Amino acid sequence: MREILILGRGGQGAQTAGNLLARAFFEQGSFVQTFATYGGARRGTPVTASLRVDDQPIRQRSNIEHASAMLCFDESLLEPGFLGFARPDTVIVVNTHKPASAFAGLGDYQFFPIDGRSIAQRNDMGKVVNSALLGAFAAKLDQLDIDIVCNVIQDTAPAKKDQNVAACRDAYAMVRNQDAGGQQ
Amino acid sequence: MNLMNRKNMQLLSGNHAVSWAARLCRPDVAPLYPITPQTPILEKITEFHAEGLMKTELLTPESEHSAMAACISASLTGARVFTATSSQGLLLQHELLHYATGARAAIVMCNVNRTPASPWGFWPDQLDSLSQRDTGWVQFYSESPQESLDSVIMAFAIAESVGVPTMVCHDAFYVSHSMEPVEIPDQAMVDDFLPKFDPARKLDTAVGASFGAPLDQNTWRRSRMDLAESLAAVTDETIRVGEAWGKLTGRSYGPLERYRCDDAEMVIVTMGSMCGTVRDAVDTMRENGKRVGLLKVRQFRPLPASMLRDALAGVPVVMVLDRNYSPGTGGILHQELKAVLSGMADGPKVHGLLAGIGGANVSSETIDRWVRDYQNAEPKPESQWVE
Repeated sequence: MREILILGRGGQGAQTAGNLLARAFFEQGSFVQTFATYGGARRGTPVTASLRVDDQPIRQRSNIEHASAMLCFDESLLEPGFLGFARPDTVIVVNTHKPASAFAGLGDYQFFPIDGRSIAQRNDMGKVVNSALLGAFAAKLDQLDIDIVCNVIQDTAPAKKDQNVAACRDAYAMVRNQDAGGQQ
Repeated sequence: MNLMNRKNMQLLSGNHAVSWAARLCRPDVAPLYPITPQTPILEKITEFHAEGLMKTELLTPESEHSAMAACISASLTGARVFTATSSQGLLLQHELLHYATGARAAIVMCNVNRTPASPWGFWPDQLDSLSQRDTGWVQFYSESPQESLDSVIMAFAIAESVGVPTMVCHDAFYVSHSMEPVEIPDQAMVDDFLPKFDPARKLDTAVGASFGAPLDQNTWRRSRMDLAESLAAVTDETIRVGEAWGKLTGRSYGPLERYRCDDAEMVIVTMGSMCGTVRDAVDTMRENGKRVGLLKVRQFRPLPASMLRDALAGVPVVMVLDRNYSPGTGGILHQELKAVLSGMADGPKVHGLLAGIGGANVSSETIDRWVRDYQNAEPKPESQWVE
């Protein structure tokens, strides 16, 4: 079973990203379970979306304690509390304009920085970064078809469908061949 | 199960699965008031309604108390009634929950189990509905979005045949907000399964009769005996309805479920979402040669006392996991189970663990550790705080 965490702040779209990713795995034929928890229930407070993917029905109903991959919407969330859910081999895609070297002091994780804001802006998405981040994350998740992710975005985006898909593909292409640590 | 072959499979949260169940049951009236984490149930129902997919009369009064008052009145006119709430909302309804049962209003409600204040929280904890245990509402605890959908449909069949209000409870977040593949039953099949509600007695302006008039002592007592008789029929009805639903869908349900309990040296007893995690823990422990099983209590009210005694006869040790804390008492399932098992010649030793109170995380590894900690311990009368 694969266990994935998406960290964000209320209003950024972490819960939506979790739902879209779950839908993509579901469309591929996997069993999925995704749920979001939000302590503050208001904008700006931390939100965690949890996603389990398996080839058989998922029965566990508990928090994810060890994620194989994490997507972080806001670099300020990368503190020991959240990093405690990662292991050394955990892929962490983080929304930031900084290089991966800026995160080296946090521990021996596989960081993939992605500047979601600039990708969103050049694809006419303004401040809405979740389709770009989803594309970047999809690039580092095994056995996930980017075309299916884009179809899900096309089907579910409430507005700017083509721009959302373009941002997703743009970020996917940027991260696809990036090595861990952010070296091109 | 192959997901690709299930044409009616959709990715739904537990709450939206409940909205789907409500839609399929075609309630005449649905009084609703929003509260986190129940709100998505209401939102999806209002979406269905706006799209013309539900012909229900939706009422959105100013509080949960008024919503329940509307449920009772509507139900007594012979309408099929659905509502949903959570935590503070359910607690605000308390006086009317008693009223609904006494008036024999066959309302079906979904309660999303959430911590009651204070302190404030939104976490899975079953104290809200468990502290309604004396109101006479039938209570089911669901483990998954699919079970919540199925349970709401079955709850209408049970409530309307026995004439008692019925509550389907599912845990905040782990079920309410958990999005999973859910099979949506065919509308025509649900229509056949659930014939139109047509109670023998109902409020009718053409008939000079009413509900709830003051009674003398002996007649009041007789009304309680009638209620007790109806509630005594619920467990058999749960079995009958659960088997009938199983024939249609392949998913059978009963008041209890025994999972790998044969030859078990320890049986873990719990309710709601934690049952799924315990299943995983049981499978892992069985692979390692530990004889452990799960007894899932799905129907908590009326408590299926004889079935519980039969299910646990000959089991050496029982470990109850209570996701609730009744201040001054301990775990409510622990307390009730000890009372039910009292006096059995071959009854088990019963440990009560306050597990995951306030939504604290309970993983299958944690359950494995608790089994090791308690399998040879001497039980204490008080429920134990564990983490």
